[in-house]
Amino acid sequence: MINKASIKEAMGKGSSGGGDLQEPMRNQSIWQKLAVLVSGKSLFFIFAFFVIFPFIVPYKALATQIIIWGLFALGYNVCLGYAGMLSFGHAAFFGIGAYTTGIILIRLWGNLWFSLFSGFASALVLAFILGFLSIKRRGIYFGMLTLAFAQLVYFIGFQWVDLTGGDNGLRSIPAVPLSFFGFSIDIYSPLRFYFFVLIFVGLSLLMLNLLLESPFGHVLQAVRENDRRAKSCGYETSSVRWLAFIISGGISGLAGGLYALYLHFVGIESLYWTTSGQVVMMTLLGGMGTFIGPFIGAGVFLFLEDVLSRLTTNWMIFLGVIFVLCVLFFPTGIWGTIKDHAMRKEKG
Amino acid sequence: MSKARRMAAEILKTIKLTKKFGGLTATNSIDFSIKEGARHSIIGPNGAGKSTFFKIIIGELRPSSGRVIFLNQDITGLPQTAISRLGIAVAYQIPSVFHQLTVFENVRVAAQSRKTTFNFWSRVRSHKEFIDQSFHVLESIGLSDLKDRKAANLSHGDRKRLEIGIALATQPKLLLLDEPTAGLSPTETRYIIELIKQISQDLTIILVEHKMKVVMEFSDTITVLYYGGILAQGTPDEIRNNEEVRRVYLGGVKV
Repeated sequence: MINKASIKEAMGKGSSGGGDLQEPMRNQSIWQKLAVLVSGKSLFFIFAFFVIFPFIVPYKALATQIIIWGLFALGYNVCLGYAGMLSFGHAAFFGIGAYTTGIILIRLWGNLWFSLFSGFASALVLAFILGFLSIKRRGIYFGMLTLAFAQLVYFIGFQWVDLTGGDNGLRSIPAVPLSFFGFSIDIYSPLRFYFFVLIFVGLSLLMLNLLLESPFGHVLQAVRENDRRAKSCGYETSSVRWLAFIISGGISGLAGGLYALYLHFVGIESLYWTTSGQVVMMTLLGGMGTFIGPFIGAGVFLFLEDVLSRLTTNWMIFLGVIFVLCVLFFPTGIWGTIKDHAMRKEKG
Repeated sequence: MSKARRMAAEILKTIKLTKKFGGLTATNSIDFSIKEGARHSIIGPNGAGKSTFFKIIIGELRPSSGRVIFLNQDITGLPQTAISRLGIAVAYQIPSVFHQLTVFENVRVAAQSRKTTFNFWSRVRSHKEFIDQSFHVLESIGLSDLKDRKAANLSHGDRKRLEIGIALATQPKLLLLDEPTAGLSPTETRYIIELIKQISQDLTIILVEHKMKVVMEFSDTITVLYYGGILAQGTPDEIRNNEEVRRVYLGGVKV
């Protein structure tokens, strides 16, 4: 296309430096190293932190709750942070995952793997359908459509008392042991259950890390940044967004299933719009579009809720004020702010 | 001989292309054709229908009537994605880049568009062909040194270059350049001209531009649009000496 000399030069550069763009660590300042670390993609660091995490929070059940909601927010972040779609309907995926997992355990088969997989799959299917119906609209119209469809799912759950228990919620989900190649392990001590959840969180993190570094992950970010340009590069932007929505819904459903196992109970409010609102808050608080931000958002949110709700019954007021202040002064969220700061230091 | 035959082949043709916005006729029954490898410029005063004409070709707008034929295929009303995949790329007048991605990522995401979209099991870093192609494009637009900078932090001039780079990276057959030197300093303008002159003859280029010097230097054929219709068409010399063109557009200025 262009003259040959420049091609050769470019090829030479391509083969020496381009094969692996994550260039070696030599010649990097301490700030650059820190920037790599806090870029949140250093998975080893994250896993190591999660292993010690239950021992540094006040009680272990809180740690479990944080990583389950963190997983939900991680899934939500695929939609909001990476695909740039503000969904107000993710409660539908969280809820259907929780209900499906619970109902399968109660009525069909007491197998944890199967029930969780069903919860995940049901959310995938629901996201496939709701995505198809909402994805053509952008911005606030998309948000309103997802909200409306999620409320529709809520009312179905509310009315279908035989299946869901309606207003009373889905009660007495059995605490079946985890079967694993013929062994069965009781996982219902707080610490064991934490690590059981961590398996799924870890797998999701690995998968998502791969996804974001894949060609598709880059297309997704390109679509978020500039839909028109992505189209004129030849990308089917609505299909790209649709797939992101489905993946996001699936992870949310998995988180819902784990939450059902955690509580042995599914409340009807898991489908309600407040659940959608909560995951939006967590994601914004932690930093949308950052890899690990949603976990930090979930952690801060639930920790504050835990502390404040012991001091006052009006804890929501304080949490609300903190949220507003965060959005006003740290619009990129907690992790986003730290990351930006490190990046700026790196540049000097 | 082979080149002469190739030059003769028609790459793009429009037949009675008309676009109406309510009562306003933006392009009025335009019959236009361009041969492979040509360097064709479209000029005309503001509101002459140049941008509308571009937008119809790339599929952003549907024409009210008329047809667009690209490589003997009717592409009228095809979606923008499909038209891009057939090999028509555009560099917009107002740079339209991926702001939060780096310069390199901008080019690479365009480069991979021909091969893969829904590949989420491999690492983008492992696809050497996209990387090599992106380095090659960066080299040709002179942005290799800024490859790790976010597009949001580029100067206007560099962003205009990146805009052309994104278009080139999709490996088009026909490239539409919408005022590539608008808002640039004389030095930057010079650079862009050199850049587009270097682009191989395998690629056909349609240029919309206001700077007459650029147009005269670059094109082999010029079409003058005026109130949505074609006023004149010919070689730079013919256009320069056309009385009517001088009256309505060149404003009597000798170029």
